[in-house]
Amino acid sequence: MIRFAFAQVLAHRVRLALTVVAVMLGVSFVSGSLVLSDTAQRLFDDQFATATAGTDVTVRTATAFDSGMGVEVERDPMPASVLADVTALDDVMTAVPVAKGTARLQQQGTDLGSFQLTTWVDEPIGSYPLLDGDAPNRLGDVVIDKAAATTLGLSIGDTLTIAGTEAVDARIVGLAGFGDSDGPPVGSVALTTLATAQEVLTVRDGLSEILVTSDLPVAEIQSALADELGSDIQVATAQDLAAAGAEQAASNLEMLQIVLIAMSVAALIIGAFLIANTFSIVISQRTRELAVVRAAGATGKQVLASVLVEALIVGAVASAAGVALGIVSTYGLRALARTFDVSIPDGDLVILPRTILIAVAVGVAVTVVAAIGPARRAAAVSPLAAMRASAAEARGVGRFRVIAGAALLAVGAAGSAAPSFGAPMLLLGAGLVLALVGVVMAAPLALRPVVALVGRAGSRTVPGQLARDATLRAPRRTAATVMALAFGLALMVFVSIVGDSVKTATGAQYREVISADVVIESAGQEMLGGVHSAVYDEVVEIAEVGEATRLKYGHWKDGKTTSALTGLDPDAISTVARIQMVDGDIADLNGGGVVIAERVATDRDLTVGDQLPMTFARTGEQQLPIVGIIEDRPAQALQTDYFVSLDTYAALFTEDMDASIFVLAGDETTPAELTTALQAELRDHPTVQVRDQAAVIAGRTQTVDQIFGLVTVLLAFAMVIAVLGIANTLALSILERTREIGLLRSMGMSRGSVALMVQVEAVIVAVAAVVTGLVLGVAGSFTAVGALSTIAPISIMIPVPQLFVIAGIVAVAGLLAGLAPARRAAGLPVLEALAHA
Amino acid sequence: MTFQHAIEATDLVKTYGTGPTAVRALDHASLSIGRGRFTAIMGPSGSGKSTLMHAMAGLDTVDAGSIRLGDLELVGLSEKKRTLLRRTRIGFIFQSYNLVPALTAKENIELPLRLAGKKADSGWLLELATTLGIADRLTHRPAELSGGQQQRVAVARALAARPEVVFADEPTGALDSRASTALLTFLRRAAHDLGQTIVMVTHDPSAAGYADRVDFLSDGRVVDGFDNPTAALVLDRMARFDVERDEVPA
Repeated sequence: MIRFAFAQVLAHRVRLALTVVAVMLGVSFVSGSLVLSDTAQRLFDDQFATATAGTDVTVRTATAFDSGMGVEVERDPMPASVLADVTALDDVMTAVPVAKGTARLQQQGTDLGSFQLTTWVDEPIGSYPLLDGDAPNRLGDVVIDKAAATTLGLSIGDTLTIAGTEAVDARIVGLAGFGDSDGPPVGSVALTTLATAQEVLTVRDGLSEILVTSDLPVAEIQSALADELGSDIQVATAQDLAAAGAEQAASNLEMLQIVLIAMSVAALIIGAFLIANTFSIVISQRTRELAVVRAAGATGKQVLASVLVEALIVGAVASAAGVALGIVSTYGLRALARTFDVSIPDGDLVILPRTILIAVAVGVAVTVVAAIGPARRAAAVSPLAAMRASAAEARGVGRFRVIAGAALLAVGAAGSAAPSFGAPMLLLGAGLVLALVGVVMAAPLALRPVVALVGRAGSRTVPGQLARDATLRAPRRTAATVMALAFGLALMVFVSIVGDSVKTATGAQYREVISADVVIESAGQEMLGGVHSAVYDEVVEIAEVGEATRLKYGHWKDGKTTSALTGLDPDAISTVARIQMVDGDIADLNGGGVVIAERVATDRDLTVGDQLPMTFARTGEQQLPIVGIIEDRPAQALQTDYFVSLDTYAALFTEDMDASIFVLAGDETTPAELTTALQAELRDHPTVQVRDQAAVIAGRTQTVDQIFGLVTVLLAFAMVIAVLGIANTLALSILERTREIGLLRSMGMSRGSVALMVQVEAVIVAVAAVVTGLVLGVAGSFTAVGALSTIAPISIMIPVPQLFVIAGIVAVAGLLAGLAPARRAAGLPVLEALAHA
Repeated sequence: MTFQHAIEATDLVKTYGTGPTAVRALDHASLSIGRGRFTAIMGPSGSGKSTLMHAMAGLDTVDAGSIRLGDLELVGLSEKKRTLLRRTRIGFIFQSYNLVPALTAKENIELPLRLAGKKADSGWLLELATTLGIADRLTHRPAELSGGQQQRVAVARALAARPEVVFADEPTGALDSRASTALLTFLRRAAHDLGQTIVMVTHDPSAAGYADRVDFLSDGRVVDGFDNPTAALVLDRMARFDVERDEVPA
């Protein structure tokens, strides 16, 4: 029977090609996302390895943890005296001082983006080989990586401004690489003398790191230095740094990975519909042949096995192709992600055997599972079917299937709706999956009224009526075609509704809570904000400013996870924000302690007066008394769940940067005048942006837009395949009805009417898919937003025009999918069609 | 004698393929079909019966010759015009019934009229259905009908638009002898009582025995024909084809 299966695959290669494409797409998403994350992981590792290759140990300020939420913690600069202490040690061969931080490069007022600013260190201790020009040796000399120079069109001799907390005029004196490549895998780098870096970063003579080499084994020099320098200073080996880097990389890529894996699952589900369809098509086409095989003595089991082996072959071929495509498309994915400002590292791809195994296993498993239904139907073909003139697919749909489907749908819908009324969140996902399975099972019957309704419009004409009947003739096949497209559409609808709801809620919440006219933030995307503290001092001096208060963000370790907190002025905050408290008063923060959000208090069963243990990078574990509980709404508008006063903040953190400054206009000033005045005054601080409410909200919802954009593009690929599925189903429908078409033509149906008939069939399927997809997507987003509303103030927002556009595109795509089959049907020669068996 | 013939084919030539492998399906075939008569066309396999019928019915084109349906010349007519012609002026009955499975018996019968955008004459349809014994089966779909019933629906469909000529291609090929007899009797009555011109291609001498006239095709030419055939006479004539063929030197 295995040879039989191989022969079948070859005989139906055209039809199976679509199956292959469907599986391939899903598998390529899987392999692509695995390759991408492995590559990123390795690049981060390599980067740390390269960066520390020439160094035995790195001396820097000690912190309780190295990175949080994907950001390396900011370390205090070390006093210059540490360098003297290090050099004093006998076994230290070299000790190179480094100051580093983040800065933006600007050229004649144009921002060139964010650069890692660090001190030039000659090789082999330094990891940036000079590729062209000279190393920096005067104040204002800068070397940038060659990759960035190429991208930005910069060359040696160009003058720039390096804008950190201080702006310094600079000139490019050389171009450097990183290891063997033209630049670091993530971001760009600017290298200057120690003095330049210290000036830009305003750390005076402070040092970020001291790179040490020694004759002693690493462990020995590490302990010798640690003994000498005390616990305030960390002496890290290359391994320590690499481990920290890996952790940082993992959390950086988390979101992208989740999106890609979700997309893989979606693509595979769409693929599964098409696989099931193609197999049932191929099997119904060769019912007669199967019957002959059965009559010749094959058991039902053997037939079942042969179909499954066929699926296995198709799955394996498609998965292998999918892995290859996935690897190739990684380049495309990178470009795509970058288009939506999601950063992905460059570099050689890392392809692990595990990636190939997982991707192929998933592809084969999905194919075989999807083929089980058709295979069972094939096994049920009786030997007698060989004698019958034709064996069309059963018109009926199993009652059990429909009842079970409806039951699953009901349970799933109830489950997914339950979190809206306080049930655990987990039910939402499980419920949506169950409901979807239920819809798929009941679809052949449930779709009948939809198709009948859609088809009624055209059924007054003969082509219209025949098209409608054709779609109802094979309800399972039609349902699978509809569902493949509807599922993709539903996901798009779901993402756009939930995204819009989140955006609207974020905006509404912000407007409701924050009454500041203008917010000053950093133009860069620093996680903790990057507004130099001098800005605040300037702002309060401006005549148009009525009230100004600063906010600072900081990370702290909460057991294993990292959380953020906000430092604020407990008195001034109430003038720029509506702070509503459940218990206590925000002003109580003046006496120290922490205010927590209501949901944290509920989750962790905390009340005012309890002590909250918090671990800080620089000050270690502290016990802070809870002095108040703030409502969730204002907490979210201020973006964290924990609040301390600026004085407490200063004691816990040494960062001097402000995250933002909230400004109210003075009595005689309009917000617009205030904005203009601030912009004029802050011209010297190029990294600082003056934002009105709309701009702040746009900035905060940027991530939603990024995810939506990425998901939409990825889903679009899957939808293209689903649309091709319509063409496939139609092609088969035509093949099955060849003689009927010949007959209609012989009785005087024109070619145009035949084409119209097929086209209407395509439109019915597409419209049914649009209706189903919209209903599923909207229903699903109601449950999701309902569930979200229990933890955040959010209500459903349906972006109607956007949905119309999506639905319109799908409908048009369905129309286009019908073109080729329609032409083919119209072109059938009458006599040959009549003679078709 | 204006239009004494319902349809008249003259000197039809049709060749399939080119070069040494070319097959001349029609070789100056000429045939006139009398109005209101039931004509059978017979001949050995490959004699060109089907090609001749398809050409006369406007389903296929010929290389040369003339086909006149009433006052209309079919040869050289565009595909589109032939399509429109088939809607109402010509009817078909196929060996394999060829009903549209998705449509009821009644919808199948009305199909050519609907394609032509014409209203069905309900009195006429009822009369046809009653005569054919399918009046109580009109709401059924083809899958719910027996072979004989399906073929009678196909006959009703062919006659529904009162076409000038009905072509029947081996109409009894798939039927048992009782159903065949009933069908042939009806076709004969349709010609005699209703004046319906019917052309039937068959290889069954007993079916030809129901016709008013039989014409014989051989090697793409009409070679013989006579009125009021009987099964025995037809069988006898057919046997001679076999002899003639055997005499042809290899």
